[in-house]
This record gives sequence, structure tokens and C-alpha cells, in this order.
Amino acid sequence: MITIDRLTKNYPDGKGIHNLSFQVPQGEVFGFLGPNGAGKTTTLRILMGFIRPDQGVARIKGKDTLGQRTKLKRIIGYLPGELHFFGKLSGQDLLDLLIDMHGGAPTLKHNCAILRQRFDLDTSQKISKMSKGMKQKLGLISAFMLGAEVLLLDEPTSGLDPLMQKVFIDLIREEQKKGATILMSSHQFAEIEKTCQRVGIVRDGNLLAVEEISRLKGIQYQTFDIRAENQEAASFLRESQLPIASQKGLWFKVAISGDLSLLWEVLSQTRISEFHQRALELEDAFLQYYR
Amino acid sequence: MFISRPFFRAMFKEQRGNLLKISGAFVLYETLLSWVYPAIAKTPAVGEIVDTIPAAVKTVFGVSPHARTDSFEAFFSSQFLARIWTLIMAAYGIMTANALVAQLVEDGSLALPLSAPLSRSKLIITQAALLFVNNAILIGVTLGGVFLGTSLFRISINKVSYLKLSLLSLSFFTAIGSYAFLFAASGSKEKSLAYAYGLTALFYGLDVVAGLWDKLNWAGTLSLFHLLKPQDVLEGTVNPAGPIKGLTTSAAVLLGVAIRIFEKRDLPL
Repeated sequence: MITIDRLTKNYPDGKGIHNLSFQVPQGEVFGFLGPNGAGKTTTLRILMGFIRPDQGVARIKGKDTLGQRTKLKRIIGYLPGELHFFGKLSGQDLLDLLIDMHGGAPTLKHNCAILRQRFDLDTSQKISKMSKGMKQKLGLISAFMLGAEVLLLDEPTSGLDPLMQKVFIDLIREEQKKGATILMSSHQFAEIEKTCQRVGIVRDGNLLAVEEISRLKGIQYQTFDIRAENQEAASFLRESQLPIASQKGLWFKVAISGDLSLLWEVLSQTRISEFHQRALELEDAFLQYYR
Repeated sequence: MFISRPFFRAMFKEQRGNLLKISGAFVLYETLLSWVYPAIAKTPAVGEIVDTIPAAVKTVFGVSPHARTDSFEAFFSSQFLARIWTLIMAAYGIMTANALVAQLVEDGSLALPLSAPLSRSKLIITQAALLFVNNAILIGVTLGGVFLGTSLFRISINKVSYLKLSLLSLSFFTAIGSYAFLFAASGSKEKSLAYAYGLTALFYGLDVVAGLWDKLNWAGTLSLFHLLKPQDVLEGTVNPAGPIKGLTTSAAVLLGVAIRIFEKRDLPL
């Protein structure tokens, strides 16, 4: 459904994206993960036809997102990363405008009313008076109410409280069941973990890897926090073969995949004062995997 | 349709506050001028004072050196239409063109409208249509204000001349709006404002300089402002048909270039 093929966009400040390629088949929720400035928003803007790539091509349903951008927007719901709206309009004015611009079908008005309730948003308020969270809800309603085949969401849960994050996750699952293809960017692992089937990690404009979430979860990394009793024990741990992820004073963070016999063997030869096993988190798995 | 009607309505709602404020100020000022004119017309000393004003000073205030000074048209042009009104209308066109394009691109407000199946050309034509309709409303209000004031205070005017001036003004401010649109469609908010104001100030300066020194008369022909001489049109000494055609054609060409640039450029939305 979505094809990114050797996409490159260079900005004068050296940022941008470099030779990015991946595909998102129909019905998949794909997470685009990376720190701020990694190139996530640039990729989404190219998919929306807002900016033109220096090289490569982006396609949705086989159509070039630049050359056929106006036609493609009939099937796309978009949430921009930075939400700015016309300040003198009310939230409802904006939603009505977008409904009319998408043809004004009664189903859109119906969807809008339901989403307004689910997000618990008073849309009669002027947009200029709304908080960041309210604006985010307004943006999400505008993207989801279209019942679009493709959803492109840039940092969708930014500014949402935990209750609304759950509403968002439910909506993503419902849209996926209906067959929607969703590409969402985020720098939050938890959000991606709960909603996506696959994740692409991007850093400095380069796609480091594309992995299935289930595979990442299956990488049995276990993380332990160990406190050496004294400097002598700390030196012993440092010089051992243990895979030490980080050290702060007498505290060591050890991340081990698979067999734990080495850990037990080392610990039996020295003195430790505290020992904790951490719950396995996707973030740990991911960072370990690509370390 | 060349424009998006829902988007036009929404943007008109955004802009109507400014439109109302300026319209109100125009009508008030015109009524005030119509109120004081009969008293001034009855005082011969005022006419004598005006006659003693040097031609150069008259030029700065937009009055032709050899124009009459004893008519309502002369009074109304020098006190309002020739400079104050023209400059306010020009500034309104530049600011509105900037607010409708460059500012919305820069602050990201166009992201959602452009996520709908609306082409960029249709969007910018809608915005241009909104500016031109707003100009037409302000010119109509100005016309209405002068008709109201002269009717209230029983001043006789040639209404057809005022209608001709309105048409000329509409094409004049459409041309200014079009180059402001061209700058707004091409660059950042600050730069496009600076370029549009800079070019207008240059035109204005050339017009003033040409009136101050005979040797620099040629400079006036380079200025857009030499095409809009309200008093000459109101007194029927100039036929505005030629300038109307020229200004309208220029506006269409400038807008065409603005659409093409806006279609091609990257939008950080």
C-alpha cells in the first residue's frame, strides 16, 4: 500500500533523509521510530506531497505521492506533527470545513460526532482558546473521521493524557480491523509497542532497521541492576566477561541474552549488596538489538 | 469551480473582523468630510489658502498641481482618496495576501486544508479571490460612504465618475494584491512582506519625486501610482479604461506566476 523507494531529501543544515526504503502492506500498522530530527516528519511530508524528494519516490496504492497528491488525499487521513489551525474558528467550524472539503458525506458527520464523544472534546470552543491536548484531540478527530484507507500520523499521542492515549490505541486497532493501513511516527516506544506490527527505526535520516514487534519482544534480553559491595568487587565485575550496559559508581546494569550461567558464575566469585531483575521492555530490547 | 467554497467561507470568517473595522473607519471619515465640506466651501479664504500652496506640496498629497481646488472632488481627493485611502488599501492588500498565504504556510495552518483533496492552485486562487472580494467590499463601502455623506449634507456629485473611480481602484488594488501574492507564495512571511512593502514604497516614492521635479517627470511613468489619480477621474479629465485593462492584465499574469511557484515549492506543513 505504501512504498518508499530510495527516498532522499537534503536540507541546507545537513539534516534530511538519505536513501530510505521500506514498504507497508495493506492493513498493517507500521511504527516509524526515532529521536527528534531523525527524518520522520520529512518522510510523512513527502508522502503527503508537501515537499518533493531530491531522489527516489514515494507511492501510495502505486500512485506517486507528488504527481498525484490531490487524488491521493481522497484516501488519506493526516495528522500533522505540529498542530496550528485558524485561530478565529471554533473546533467545530474546522471539522465542518474539513468535512465539506472531503465532500460533505453524512457518514463523515456521523463519524465526527462519535469521535467527539470518545475524545470528550467540546468543539464549540474557539481553537485559539484550546490547550495543546485539546488541539491534539481535534487533529485526531479530523484524521480518524474520514474513515480513510491510509492514515499518516505524526506523533499522534503528543499532549494526550493516559486515558485519551487508550482511546487512541483502541481507535488504531478498530481502523486496522477495517483494513486501514497506518504509518505513525513516534519517539515513544510504548506507543509503538501497543499499536504496531512492525517498526522502522530511523536515526540521522538513515533507516537503521525494520523489525517485527513480536520478534523484538522475543529477543530474550534480561536486564539486571547489580550493586557491588565495594570498589574491589566493582573492579572484579568490570574485568569480568559480563555484558555491562552501563555503570554508575558501584551500580552496574547488565543485559544478557540467553544463558545466564556466566552471570551466576561471576556473582559467585565476588560480593554484591543488591540485585534486581528488570522487567523486559521493548525499549531495552530494541536498544540492545541495535547497540 | 475554480475556488473551494467551504474554504472561502472559512477564510472569510477569519478575515471579516479586519474588514469590518476598516469599513467602519472609512464610512466615519467620509461622513465627517462631507459634514465639514459645506462650511469650507462657503469660506473663500480656504480656497485662497489652497491656491497659495506650492505645486510640490500638492503633489505630495496626491493633488495634481493644475487641478481645481474649489470642488468637493478636489477636497475629497486631497483629504482622503489620493493618499490616505490609497495607502491604507495598499497596506491592507499586502498584509492580507501575506496572512492568507505566507503566514499560513509558515505557522502550519495549511496542513489540514491541504490534506483534503484540494489542489494547491485551487487553494491559492481561493485565497486570491478572497482578497479581491474583500477589496471590492472596501471599495464598495467607500463608495457607499461618499454617497451617504453627500446625500446627508446635500452635496451634489457625479455618481458615474465615482463608479468609474471604483472600477479603476479595484483593478489597481488587485494588481498590488497580485504582486503581494506572488511574494507571499514564493517565500517566508518576513521576506514577502518586506518585498511587497518595499516595492510599493518604491512606486510611491517615484510618484512623489516625479511630481516634485519637472526633470524627473519620467520617473512617474515607472510608478503604479501614476495610474490612480482620483481627482482627475472624478473630474472626468482622465479616461480610466486603459489603466483598468492594463492593471487587470498585469494582475492576471502575476497571479498566474504565483500559482505556478506555489505548486512547485516545498511546503513545511
